[in-house]
Amino acid sequence: MNALKWWWGILLAFALLGVSRTFLPLPFMNEVVIFSIYAMGCNFLIGRVGYISFGQPAYLAFGAYACAFYLFYFGTNPLVGIMVGVLGGLVVSLVIGPLFVRLRSDYFAMVNLALAVIVFYLTQKVLVDITKGDNGLWFMTRITSTPGLDLTIPGQFFIFALIVALAVCAFYKYLDDSIYGACCLATKINENKLQFLGYDNFSIRLLAFVIANTTTALAGAMYAVYLGFVSPEMASPSRAADPVIVTLLGGVGTLFGPIVGAIAYTGMKDVISKLIGNWELFIGFLLVFIMLVADQGIWGTLAPLLEKLLWRRKATLPVATKR
Amino acid sequence: MSPDKRTVVIKAEGVSKRFGTVQAVDQVDYQLYENEVAGILGSNGAGKTTFFNLLTGYYLPDEGRILYQGQDVTRMTPQQRVSLGMMRSFQLTSTFDNLSVIDNLVLAFFRAHKSASLWQLLINTCRKHRKDEKILATLASFDLERVADRLVKHLGLGEKRRMEIAMEILAEPKVLLLDEPLAGLAESEIKGVLDILRQQVGKQTILIVEHKISHVQDFLQRLIVMHEGRIIAEGGYECLQNPEVRKSYWQIDDSASESASASADAGEVS
Repeated sequence: MNALKWWWGILLAFALLGVSRTFLPLPFMNEVVIFSIYAMGCNFLIGRVGYISFGQPAYLAFGAYACAFYLFYFGTNPLVGIMVGVLGGLVVSLVIGPLFVRLRSDYFAMVNLALAVIVFYLTQKVLVDITKGDNGLWFMTRITSTPGLDLTIPGQFFIFALIVALAVCAFYKYLDDSIYGACCLATKINENKLQFLGYDNFSIRLLAFVIANTTTALAGAMYAVYLGFVSPEMASPSRAADPVIVTLLGGVGTLFGPIVGAIAYTGMKDVISKLIGNWELFIGFLLVFIMLVADQGIWGTLAPLLEKLLWRRKATLPVATKR
Repeated sequence: MSPDKRTVVIKAEGVSKRFGTVQAVDQVDYQLYENEVAGILGSNGAGKTTFFNLLTGYYLPDEGRILYQGQDVTRMTPQQRVSLGMMRSFQLTSTFDNLSVIDNLVLAFFRAHKSASLWQLLINTCRKHRKDEKILATLASFDLERVADRLVKHLGLGEKRRMEIAMEILAEPKVLLLDEPLAGLAESEIKGVLDILRQQVGKQTILIVEHKISHVQDFLQRLIVMHEGRIIAEGGYECLQNPEVRKSYWQIDDSASESASASADAGEVS
């Protein structure tokens, strides 16, 4: 019974996403689901460990290019491609993580931004022979059908992406409730105390960095398979703030914040870009307004209201277990 | 039993620490005995917190070494010291304000009973440990049941202090090192915290750094008084009558009052 209570929120959220597919365009839904996975990694870094990174496009590109290299040069199975992308993100995170997690706050944000710039120029100018520069790698026609869910068909890719996103969300939910999740929150605000309780801040942060960026690489690999194409634009530093914005918009540190943020951001982008030419400027102003009105983000503001509405709980001081 | 025949738990040998031109701790030798309740007293800037930080591994000494049960721990990390059985608190209340009271206790309890390897942290959930009998009993004995699910940032200072000490006791260290645990508390809260600490007497070695002797009157079994980075007196409460202690700690200059009275006497005579 407890297990059901634990799971029902996640299942309901993804059931709603699945149902939305019937009345919302498929490309929009696919983008929302992949962007949700992208933002889940960023949300974990900011919300749990207190690391703001403006270099997430770099990790997205690591996953996307690792997957693309496999599908362009070596194989044709998209599932293997996604696994290669995840592995690529994992290896890169393990290599650079020990260097980066020693930094805090603004230094961490900027060193990641620098990484995104490096990756952008590597893919665009330095490694042109293998990345094909701005032309990118096109491999849609090389991707073969997979048994069960055929990822070459957008409708079936959506189901696959939804299952992957659900698994990632459930994994983060588990982490939230683990001792490790509590240690992440603890190191975020009081590393001295955690150290003198006998925990190792460095390994806790390193693991968080690896988990979050491997998730980001997974999103990158899924973008690669879905689009059948990757280009340096994916690592563009001009898109560095996107996952951070989505995280803040949805609600930092909340389980469903990345999904809500991805729906809101992609929705705003789609709707407003059709109506206004300089849509990014308008979205900028809109975001400033939302942040000022609801600094907890959309889900962070709505969740307590929904809880009260649905369960008619008495208004008490906030407790840590609410989500 | 004479202190000399008791087992030494922590020993400082010629420990010094300098910050720029300030000699914060100067060649201090000290011994902490098993299961005693000892105190470090001194006025502001006497070097007691720096010395405490050297004992607990927060600072590395410039000179000298720290031994724990005969083992040199001078260069050990705080995690290694915790594994050996040393646990410290901080002068300013130091808790995880973004976690609930019970999850703060779970983190302290977990470290005492399981290794802090990432694998153990990942496979164990807070949910499971929140029901542990020892944690529930601690909540009750520290009068924290009512606020168990509340985020720590919503607690009052007295509740936070009680919770912090509860964390340290739950972690079951052999040596409990408390840095001004009574600072900022109301009289009633001080009594509550001391009552809790009294329950630990004889079970754990306790070292308390305190600024005000009135707070820990009748609680400490042995104390040292520090001034300008040195130990100027050591022993029972009678050492507070030491002229140097009276001068540095209470700003009572016996020699001045003696000479004043002598000159008064001389005046009377003349």
